[in-house]
Amino acid sequence: MLSVDTPNGLDEELEALAVRNKARAIGVALHDLETGFRFSLRGDRWFHAASTIKVAVLLAVFRAADEGRFRLDDSLHVRNRFFSVADGSLFRLSQDRDATPELYAAIGRTAKISSLAHAMICGSSNLATNLLLEFVGVQYARMVLREAQVDGVELRRGVEDPGAHEQGINNEATADGLLSLLSAIRGDFLGPESKQQVIRILLEQRFNSMIPAGLPPHATVAHKTGEISTACHDIGIVYLPEREPYITAILTEFDPEREGRREMVAAISEAIYRSVLRTELDAK
Amino acid sequence: MKTEFLQPIDGIRLAEEYRALLRPGESEAGADGIVHHLPRFFYEIGSWQQAHEIRLAPHFTLAELMLVDCRETRLLLSQFPHYVPCTILLLARFLEDFRCEVDAPVFISANGGYRSPAHQIGGAKSIHAWGTAANIYRVGDTFLSDAKSIRKYRAVAASLSPAVFARPFGKDEGQTSDHLHIDLGYASLTPRQCSEAS
Repeated sequence: MLSVDTPNGLDEELEALAVRNKARAIGVALHDLETGFRFSLRGDRWFHAASTIKVAVLLAVFRAADEGRFRLDDSLHVRNRFFSVADGSLFRLSQDRDATPELYAAIGRTAKISSLAHAMICGSSNLATNLLLEFVGVQYARMVLREAQVDGVELRRGVEDPGAHEQGINNEATADGLLSLLSAIRGDFLGPESKQQVIRILLEQRFNSMIPAGLPPHATVAHKTGEISTACHDIGIVYLPEREPYITAILTEFDPEREGRREMVAAISEAIYRSVLRTELDAK
Repeated sequence: MKTEFLQPIDGIRLAEEYRALLRPGESEAGADGIVHHLPRFFYEIGSWQQAHEIRLAPHFTLAELMLVDCRETRLLLSQFPHYVPCTILLLARFLEDFRCEVDAPVFISANGGYRSPAHQIGGAKSIHAWGTAANIYRVGDTFLSDAKSIRKYRAVAASLSPAVFARPFGKDEGQTSDHLHIDLGYASLTPRQCSEAS
């Protein structure tokens, strides 16, 4: 593998995109496994992780399955009743605010852990996320991140926890941290079957208006988006024909509910893609 | 009612691996320090199909009262036979009366019927290990997830017998917030053909 570390004009291009789109901040990390090209633009800046944190939960769930704590086809009781990590207060998730409202029909019954993992990522289900995180435990998930040597991802709670939010207890991540999380998934941290299954779940992502939108049709992306009022992120492993994939994390912060956020992430994705191709050509 | 599959067995004659989990007849102190004896007599269930076919009451199958999630220990979750305390018959009879009173389908949640003493929720200190408790999460089209609905159906349950206990709404210990917990106390049932001599 060649090792290339020249940014190839990518940093100026991304800075210009951020200015043009009035982003408050961007953080971008890239590792091309074909050439070894690594790039990081404010990769150590912390952002609200939004739904990208679900990838950390996914890693913990499959690690726990690898350790024999449960089987992925085991069933888990679906309840919409959670306790805040801040003060233990009861809270429920709103079906209207969840990208996978259909899971709420299973309340009171059971769902397979593998189905919940799929819903958590592909449909970004908040309910599935909190159920899985409650089951494996925040402390366990944090331990898994440490074992996987993932720095830059602070998993502190489930999603939509109002008590924690009020006290400023949020999930946070850096672009470099989320890149190392995806690298752990693609590496040998999980068993071969779990790794394949995790990547397959990420490939079946339903929300494709960011990283994939900036790529040609022959690219496939195993990825996870994350959006809240002020943040718009996408992190993924990009597969191109006849070469090793590249891994990227694109984190952005805007004024609340600003238009054109996804389009900017897609434009960053396109710029990264062009840079990866340029670097590959230069290396040859 | 289809109950011909029900085979009562004495728990203390089970294999060691099952006895270790079911703890038949063993004493257990509750959170309040009061000691009760765990169930000794069980029905042996050969498969999920059997559990679905065994109708304990006109509107309740055995499967509804023994469905648990992966918080149950592996041996008692994914392998058969399963063992359910004989008192499950009394619980089903009560639930049928409750259903008749509310005149609507009654839904028992996963983990909401019998749970073994090895189950991660409550374990042997939970009255669910006696097979006399049920968590009802829905009556008809009403989900029991607020104070109003839980109070309403709690009153109905309590009106059916002084032996019935139903937990109040709330999030503290001994309260429920997304289902109605009812139980018949620490009842035990010894089938006629079973001896209680040890």
